[in-house]
Amino acid sequence: MVADTPRSSDVQTRYEAVIGLEVHCQLLTHSKMFAADTNAFGGEPNTHVSVITLGHPGTLPKANRQAVEYAVRIGLAVGSEITRHNVFARKNYFYPDLPKGYQLSQDKGPICVGGTVPITAKDPVTGESYQTEIQLHHIHLEEDAGKSIHDGSDWTTQLDYNRAGTPLIEMVTEPCIRTADEAGQYLTEVRRLVRYLDICDGNMEEGSLRCDVNVSIRPVGATYLGTKVEVKNLNSIRNVMRAVDSEIQRQIDVTEAGGTLIQETRTFDASTGLSAGMREKETMNDYRYFPDPDLAPVVISDAWLADIEAAMPMLPSARLARFTDHYGLPAYDATLLTDAKELADYYEETCAALPTDKISPAAYKAVSNWIMGPVKGHLNEKTLRDRQFPVSASQLAALIGLVLNETVSQTAAQQVFTLMLTNLETSPADLAQQHGLIQNRNTDALQTLVESVLAEWPDKVEQYRKGKKNLLGMFVGEVMKKSKGSADPKLVNQLVVKTLQ
Amino acid sequence: MTEYRSFAAVQTDLKAGSITCRQLVDHYLDRIAEQAHLNVFTQVYTDESRVQAEQVDRKLANGTAGRLAGMVIGLKDVLSHAGHGLRAGSHILDNFTAQFTGTAVERLLAEDAIVIGRQNCDEFAMGSSNENSAFGPVRNAADPTRVPGGSSGGSAVAVQAGLCLASIGSDTGGSVRQPAAFCGVVGLKPTYGRISRWGLVAYASSFDCIGPIANTLADVALLLEIMAGPDGFDSTVSTQPVGAYTQAVTAPVKPLRVAYLREGIDSEGVDPAIREATRQKLDQLRAAGHQVDAVDISLLKYLLPTYYILTTAEASSNLSRFDGVRYGYRSPDSTDLITMYKRSRTEGFGAEVRRRILLGTFVLSASYYDAYYTKAQRVRRLMQQEMERLFTQYDVLLSPTTPTTAYRLGEKTSDPLQMYLGDIFTVLANVVGYPAVSIPNGHDGSEPALPIGLQLMTPPFAEERLLTVAQSLQ
Repeated sequence: MVADTPRSSDVQTRYEAVIGLEVHCQLLTHSKMFAADTNAFGGEPNTHVSVITLGHPGTLPKANRQAVEYAVRIGLAVGSEITRHNVFARKNYFYPDLPKGYQLSQDKGPICVGGTVPITAKDPVTGESYQTEIQLHHIHLEEDAGKSIHDGSDWTTQLDYNRAGTPLIEMVTEPCIRTADEAGQYLTEVRRLVRYLDICDGNMEEGSLRCDVNVSIRPVGATYLGTKVEVKNLNSIRNVMRAVDSEIQRQIDVTEAGGTLIQETRTFDASTGLSAGMREKETMNDYRYFPDPDLAPVVISDAWLADIEAAMPMLPSARLARFTDHYGLPAYDATLLTDAKELADYYEETCAALPTDKISPAAYKAVSNWIMGPVKGHLNEKTLRDRQFPVSASQLAALIGLVLNETVSQTAAQQVFTLMLTNLETSPADLAQQHGLIQNRNTDALQTLVESVLAEWPDKVEQYRKGKKNLLGMFVGEVMKKSKGSADPKLVNQLVVKTLQ
Repeated sequence: MTEYRSFAAVQTDLKAGSITCRQLVDHYLDRIAEQAHLNVFTQVYTDESRVQAEQVDRKLANGTAGRLAGMVIGLKDVLSHAGHGLRAGSHILDNFTAQFTGTAVERLLAEDAIVIGRQNCDEFAMGSSNENSAFGPVRNAADPTRVPGGSSGGSAVAVQAGLCLASIGSDTGGSVRQPAAFCGVVGLKPTYGRISRWGLVAYASSFDCIGPIANTLADVALLLEIMAGPDGFDSTVSTQPVGAYTQAVTAPVKPLRVAYLREGIDSEGVDPAIREATRQKLDQLRAAGHQVDAVDISLLKYLLPTYYILTTAEASSNLSRFDGVRYGYRSPDSTDLITMYKRSRTEGFGAEVRRRILLGTFVLSASYYDAYYTKAQRVRRLMQQEMERLFTQYDVLLSPTTPTTAYRLGEKTSDPLQMYLGDIFTVLANVVGYPAVSIPNGHDGSEPALPIGLQLMTPPFAEERLLTVAQSLQ
């Protein structure tokens, strides 16, 4: 209500929020956390399972080295301390999608301790950008549960254990986040990091990246922590930000109305933008953690750690530096191109596929222009994700090569690009040929065109000769028109000048 | 047919051509039928074992047979064997068929052992008398009114009564050694991690060991040699090289420093006949020129509480998977998720298993965790340290395997604490993870006479020494 806005915003400035995020990332390992079954999203229900995943009697877990390496990668990327002696604990609770009756997780001694994620956020009041660092408490490894499917047709529950045992990392921040924007920026940065590190696809809709938020409020300036409320079921960065704002507002409203907040878990409804409390029964659990006696501790030796470090994919900051230093791109281009790993990869692949005799800073800039211009334009238009762009890097490089060796004009290249989007199997050169877009560099033929144009405009020729040299562009344009855009404008220019001398 | 008491005798006759594996299996099948009242086997693989025997006979004929050709064994019903039932003496695994073969069984089969059936045991290996089985109690062949011990009761009686040549049991607190003592046979619990647990239904994971039961140390050594060693399926199994156990049995004994548990002789709870039999063995050792000293273990009185806190804690979690959701028993009276869990587990598990799950859940609960679980872990470490110190001065530790001989069926069922006390000497090896063996040590004066067991223990991975010393005492 408009009338309430000033008062409510006045109230809001008296409180500050204390926010912590728990982010779960499903790791892109070949197999599961403690079993050799395939780790893949989807598939017919219960096809990626084994006796281990199903918790058959007599089975034992075996830790997946790749999952450990992936967790170490993210830890190294955010500057965590890496725990060398890793013990897995059993988190005991009953649920049908949890085959063993316990989840293997890390209770004490998570694999990564501490760390920071730098972000740029906007002040909600002034709108100004500022830099800050989000502190991590820890990152731990665990296994995912299966899925319960309630299709609503009757009272039965169906169970799919394909996801059971999928390796997860849980990244837990300190309660150091203050605004929804900071939460959103942090999550965006984490998603970028895990994608850069090739450890998680970061897809929130499919649930491979999941986020729970913990929110409390306190009067501005207070140092104590208020009653913490956890909000779950957030399937996009936008919803995380909405949930934070709505929870802050709810807590302020309850407090201002003289009510008492209770420590609880709430579930967010994206359609209403509001959250509802879950039954207390579901949140009160004594998990009876204890070290899993079936699993030997996973010890990360110096040598293994060095191997992981050596195999680290390049981080966004290093990538940015490479784009300005190695490719000589302006900071603006480099920032835009390295925002998403897929785009950065695409840029580098295209550069690598350029004709070797055409490699130059100008060529690298040309690739950047093509990707930031037509490629991104097409992506925005089709709202495709970067990695789903249909034209391969080598095809794009071939097209840019045609421009660089003046086989096609810049204008014609745009037309070829459009044709490429729907003719993925045909080379850019063939497309240019088929559609008559090869640049005409036949001097004799062009000379004929020049002469016929000049013959059509005797008065303009007269004016030019008297000194109105800016008519040159008009003559060249007319010749280009006659050539249906195929003429090499530089060559036409030369011919016109020479003919008029 | 000859009542074979050693694999060597079987091999001699197979070689001489005086018997075939098929005849051997038929003989055991007859014996099992004759002794059905002992309730040893929960399932006999009649047709399968005959087919297997004929295959092994063919292999023997063409010289491709494995080291266990002619060895007819039974498996305690806690060992996963693909395509066969796996019930762990429990209703909760009703109609469950194993989908894979565990490592130990796999290795035995690869050497041409013939599996004749699955053996009765206490439910989920929890018990000392084999009275906690959904398949009913097993009876001691020496006196069928008495218990065989537990939890590998069926496995011990099978060897005792000549229903197969050897059995594979499991030992979490004495479940191989105690029934071996009650039945007058040899039972070995190896070092923790010596044999892969892949395929062993878990009771208490950090205590559980697969162990062989046979008439002779030589047979036990052979079975250990084949089952032991690294395994990609079990991250807790040791990578220590497997010893030459079969050779250890015939190796000469060097002068030894022998410790015996003072409590094992002096305690009032020890039967006089057992005290006397143990003393005689000590005298025999002294006479042979070995140093023999009484030792006390300062933490002995904490042993049983430590064992029961830690094993029940692990068991309460290990048995959570039996929930009626994916396999096994589901109560037909379930109305929703919670009643399905409660009724399936209440009806599917027996009283002793329920007691241990409740106890374990209690000791792991947030309010009591440090008072029980954490403290018991600490005591376990202290005991390991004390044993390490002891074994810097001694080569082997002796005690009776049990304070009493086999008691009557039903005698202790109403008093679980009394029954737990019977595990006092065996539990130590599991708490510290050391290898121990029970060998026959005469009989008491009952009518009929009941077997007595002597237990020997050595440091981790010193199974060779254990077998050499044990052989010298037979």
